[in-house]
Amino acid sequence: MLKEAVSRQPSVVSPTLSQIKARKRRKDLLWNTLSYTVLVVIGLILLYPFYWTLITSLETTGSIYEAKLLPKGVSLRNYVEVFQGTTVPFWRLIVNSLIICTLGVTLTVTLASLAAYPLAKMRFPGRDLIFYAILVLMVLPNEAGLIVNYITTIKLGLLQQTNPVLDAARQYAAVVLPGVASIVGLFLLRQAYLGVPIELIEAARIDGAKELTIWRRIMLPLALPTIVAFSILEFVAYWNSFLWARIMLPDKNLMPLSAGLLELSGTFSTNSRAVMAGAVITVLPILVIFAFGQRYFMKGIEGAVKG
Amino acid sequence: MTTTKGRESRRAQHVRGAQGARVTVRNTLVAYAFMLPFLILLVLYHTWPVFFGTYLAFTRYNIISPPEWVGLANFRTLAADSQFWAGLTNSLKYILVVPVIQLLSIAVAMLVNRPLRGIGLFRTAYYVPVVTSFAVVGLIWTWMYQQDGPVSAVLRFLGLEARGSLLNNPATALYAVMFVTLWKGIGYYMVLYLAGLQAIGRELEEAAVIDGATRWQVFVNVTLPGLRPTILVCSLLSTISAIKVFEEIYVMTQGGPAGSTYTALFFTYSRAFVDFQYGLAAAAGLIIAVISILFGFLNFKLTRGGKVDA
Repeated sequence: MLKEAVSRQPSVVSPTLSQIKARKRRKDLLWNTLSYTVLVVIGLILLYPFYWTLITSLETTGSIYEAKLLPKGVSLRNYVEVFQGTTVPFWRLIVNSLIICTLGVTLTVTLASLAAYPLAKMRFPGRDLIFYAILVLMVLPNEAGLIVNYITTIKLGLLQQTNPVLDAARQYAAVVLPGVASIVGLFLLRQAYLGVPIELIEAARIDGAKELTIWRRIMLPLALPTIVAFSILEFVAYWNSFLWARIMLPDKNLMPLSAGLLELSGTFSTNSRAVMAGAVITVLPILVIFAFGQRYFMKGIEGAVKG
Repeated sequence: MTTTKGRESRRAQHVRGAQGARVTVRNTLVAYAFMLPFLILLVLYHTWPVFFGTYLAFTRYNIISPPEWVGLANFRTLAADSQFWAGLTNSLKYILVVPVIQLLSIAVAMLVNRPLRGIGLFRTAYYVPVVTSFAVVGLIWTWMYQQDGPVSAVLRFLGLEARGSLLNNPATALYAVMFVTLWKGIGYYMVLYLAGLQAIGRELEEAAVIDGATRWQVFVNVTLPGLRPTILVCSLLSTISAIKVFEEIYVMTQGGPAGSTYTALFFTYSRAFVDFQYGLAAAAGLIIAVISILFGFLNFKLTRGGKVDA
């Protein structure tokens, strides 16, 4: 706009138009160079620790914590070590994480997408009451959550030890269940459902479709972008969670990767490089998911804030 | 809840052919059936802890025998416990992170809001620390802080000499952990501020430029007021998480050295899961909850309720 204003009266201004343009171009170039420099510096500060961990995990010799730009030699020995050298096999931690994530994401997304349907598209007594009660819960601080949920888990008998298969199932459930009722997820999905035209649903109802069919055939497909965004958010959350699992799980064999990694750093004090290899393996799936789902991811976060 | 707005929108829906089928017993049952699994878990893991936790704060409880009502005894114990006060002090010190992280995030958001080539790549890269687990982030920074590690190298370059790890020094440990919180959090708030900036749009800023405003004037008079709702949300979120800081501490310092990173929530954690004094831990939790509510109100006041018009 500024440019237009200037170009309208070129003859009056003393410096010629080309001079002004050149000056503006120089100024832009300066600003852009400065911007890119700052962007790269911030990028280095935020990413170098990851890069440093990666290259250090590939080394086998040298002073371990030294700052560096390139690894001194590349070897996968630490990666082999992390799978072989511990009391709890590393692959077991990976399997645990995969089970916990699959179970957690499936349950969380299914329950939220079921519960959001009546709140968005049905009429029944108590609808507003339930909606506002959930709103209040979101705001209420819950510092006792960890303590009371631990007590609840014990009282539900989820930490009982009777036979190996049942124990494992119960302990996975104990890890997953406290996070399954996601209020944020309920909001995101309700917002998505609100956009579905009521005529579609009415038509299906007149045709005699059951509500469950309408949910599966109309609501779920139309809310798919939100469901994908929410699933990614939940995958990352379950994959990264470690505190609850560490507090609660008596069986180290059932720990997820993030929680087990801390166990490793305790037992592996002589070989930090192996723990670094473990850290790299722990981050990798998140980076892959993040790279592919980045757009959905940001959408999910913005949606979560706008409520 | 029969707010006017609710009633109106329901009438509007009725005119449009009713949002949802007629209210019948059957339809109501169907609706509740859809919500039942969610509601059961919600009550069990979200509602119940609020009430039972508050009750526990007034009891002595060790899981094995039933809770024993002790009135305000837990609070008196806490008031006389120097460790609790030390934890609370550190938690309040941690709030120092909030203004720093907010200012930096706004600056970074404005930087990545510029129409530069490849800017999407930077936005994505800046988000990587956010999606990484505290378990990993904590370990990485424990290594980074080691004596002769990359952080010492940077400090030496700046003419500062760090003896040993910053995490092992009681004078620096808390700030070293704070830096990690900052480092991990910037990308998160950046995304929120970016959304806020894009909601403001360029028209107002460009209009101000044409009226002869300097960059700084545009920022103070147009951008900042427009961001006020986002600033409220972000400062609220970061103040509350600063008071409740835990995972960074758990991974990196376990409250040490010499209690220098011992925060209020770490106190709660150790009373519950190390000493099995669940009642006392719940009381400490209740105090932290009340403090975060107070800071929530303070934030609300300071940002004038996040309203765009001053």
